[in-house]
Amino acid sequence: MALLEIDELKVTFRTRHGPVTALDGVSLRVEAGETLGIVGESGCGKSITALSVMGLVPSPPGNIAGGAIRLAGEDLVGASPRRLRKLRGSEIAMIFQEPMTSLNPVFTAGDQIAEAIMLHQNVSRAEALTRAVALLDRVGIPEARRRAEDYPHQLSGGMRQRVMIAMAVSCQPKVLIADEPTTALDVTVQAQIFDLLNDLQRETGAAIMLITHDMGAIAEMADRVAVMYAGRVIEEGRADDILDHPKHPYTRGLIACIPNVGKGEGGEPPPLAEIPGVVPPLHLLGAGCAFRERCGSAFDRCAAERPRLLGPAAHPAACHAVEEGRP
Amino acid sequence: MAGYLLRRLAYGLLLMAGVVILNFFLIRLAPGDPAEVIAGDMGGATAEVLAAIRADYGLDQPLLVQLGRYLGAMMQGDLGESYFFNRPVAELIGARIGPTILLVLAAQVISITIGVAMGVMAARKPNGVLSGAVSVVATIGYAVPVFWMGIMLIILFASIIPIFPVEGMADIRLRNEGWLERMIDILHHLALPAFSLAVIFLAIYARLSRASMLDVLGADYVRTARAKGASERSVLFRHALRNAALPVITVAGLQFGGLLSGALLVETVFNWPGMGTLAFDAILRRDYTLLLGVLFCAAAMVVIANIVTDLAYRLADPRLRGET
Repeated sequence: MALLEIDELKVTFRTRHGPVTALDGVSLRVEAGETLGIVGESGCGKSITALSVMGLVPSPPGNIAGGAIRLAGEDLVGASPRRLRKLRGSEIAMIFQEPMTSLNPVFTAGDQIAEAIMLHQNVSRAEALTRAVALLDRVGIPEARRRAEDYPHQLSGGMRQRVMIAMAVSCQPKVLIADEPTTALDVTVQAQIFDLLNDLQRETGAAIMLITHDMGAIAEMADRVAVMYAGRVIEEGRADDILDHPKHPYTRGLIACIPNVGKGEGGEPPPLAEIPGVVPPLHLLGAGCAFRERCGSAFDRCAAERPRLLGPAAHPAACHAVEEGRP
Repeated sequence: MAGYLLRRLAYGLLLMAGVVILNFFLIRLAPGDPAEVIAGDMGGATAEVLAAIRADYGLDQPLLVQLGRYLGAMMQGDLGESYFFNRPVAELIGARIGPTILLVLAAQVISITIGVAMGVMAARKPNGVLSGAVSVVATIGYAVPVFWMGIMLIILFASIIPIFPVEGMADIRLRNEGWLERMIDILHHLALPAFSLAVIFLAIYARLSRASMLDVLGADYVRTARAKGASERSVLFRHALRNAALPVITVAGLQFGGLLSGALLVETVFNWPGMGTLAFDAILRRDYTLLLGVLFCAAAMVVIANIVTDLAYRLADPRLRGET
């Protein structure tokens, strides 16, 4: 039994185009101490997967229509709001994408971390604040005692994200979800944040679910990778396998899109690659493969039948062309 | 911070001087002559009597001279004598300013607390029945003229359900009772006027705080609070309301002037012994000095209210504390 198991999760949203399926049978598993990367473009369901695990899918309009999420065997989909509140922040914690707006502007950094501690542990406010300062120090904020009294607007983006991380790990969660934790940050700060997350994981043995569209982040952080497209997992495997031997045309496209800084054969940098088109609106998905319109390998079967995740258990892909061994 | 306060005070004084000078000329543009009113009260107006009265009050001097005299006296804390009451303006206002401040502050407290509570309730389920009801009540409250609301409340609570006194500020039969009885009596008298004045502003705050709460409840930091495991109550009142209250504070400060002018009408309807009734008398009787004194005090109150608002805003929003 894995620490966190997502099993055939189906999430629907009511929209003005009628109900759409944002997640369509997503199954994932993360072990303790492991980092699972979830990649895909905007709108493919990465964040909804994360919010589902947190029990924070906005409802209405969202609704978990089926499937299960199990944390150490305990089903979270049917859990009471009270139980979920108890788990949130203590057993499962989340770091959000926008450090600039994810901290409450009217409370100090120390207060916001101390609040998380006091919500789940029976300690005094003074003790919680002391621990908050220690956490700020741990996540690499200099002069932590003074910084704890700063308000978010007095901190840089990188520091705010460190505060978010300190808040998230304050109760030593078993599962840490990081939703694009470095997207809004400078490249140099990104590397520091990844190092910090790796260190914290080594110390606490937490499972990390890293959501990103950045293949570089995957190479740096992830043990295993799940590639998502239009609400489904379309390829899954060890990070090295996915990066070196991607199967699905979409994954190959994502990897081809990593900008190459080095010079090519002619002395010029190679042109930037792109995947043509955009993720189709979910309410317009037909019966076939959701990627076929953008796919160079599409053939007639792709329009008729939705591909299932098939192939070796260690590295399956959902693609008819891969299944039939077409080029 | 101290420098900021001093600067605000200086601006405030400048503003008040502007108000006084502008009003000084505006009143004299209006038709009517205080000498005639005074003479009329004395029982007859011959040309000589009028001239004597004008000379007596300095009304025969050129306007600029009159203004200079008035401002000069004002610098020394003298607001002049009322033409009609024959008593110092400062004394008249001193006796009336307390009830007005009481009425205005009571209305402010009622409208902000009830208005914000309505707005928060409505924002919790923006498409729910309660939210719709709050919107309807708020729209009606905003549309209803304050004097009409006063009259309706008098009808309701004087003849249909007679539970509140409808007139005045205190029951003279209780003048020899202890202070507690008299205070309760004043609060009892205060209820209807304060509520009628509060209704229109309550509507403003309900709509504003509903919109502001809806905005804040969608903010990333509210999601962060939920992700920590904070209870719905803590999310609503600790995390969201603190932020949603900021625009309410701004508007409360801006509305203070409106509140004062609304108080004038309410005081007239309920015969509340405040500055509003005094101003009303002063206008009817062309009592220039009294009216100028009242306007000066009203301007001072608005200036003070704005400074207090600014301080409250800084207290509530740490992002503004560093600015000067």
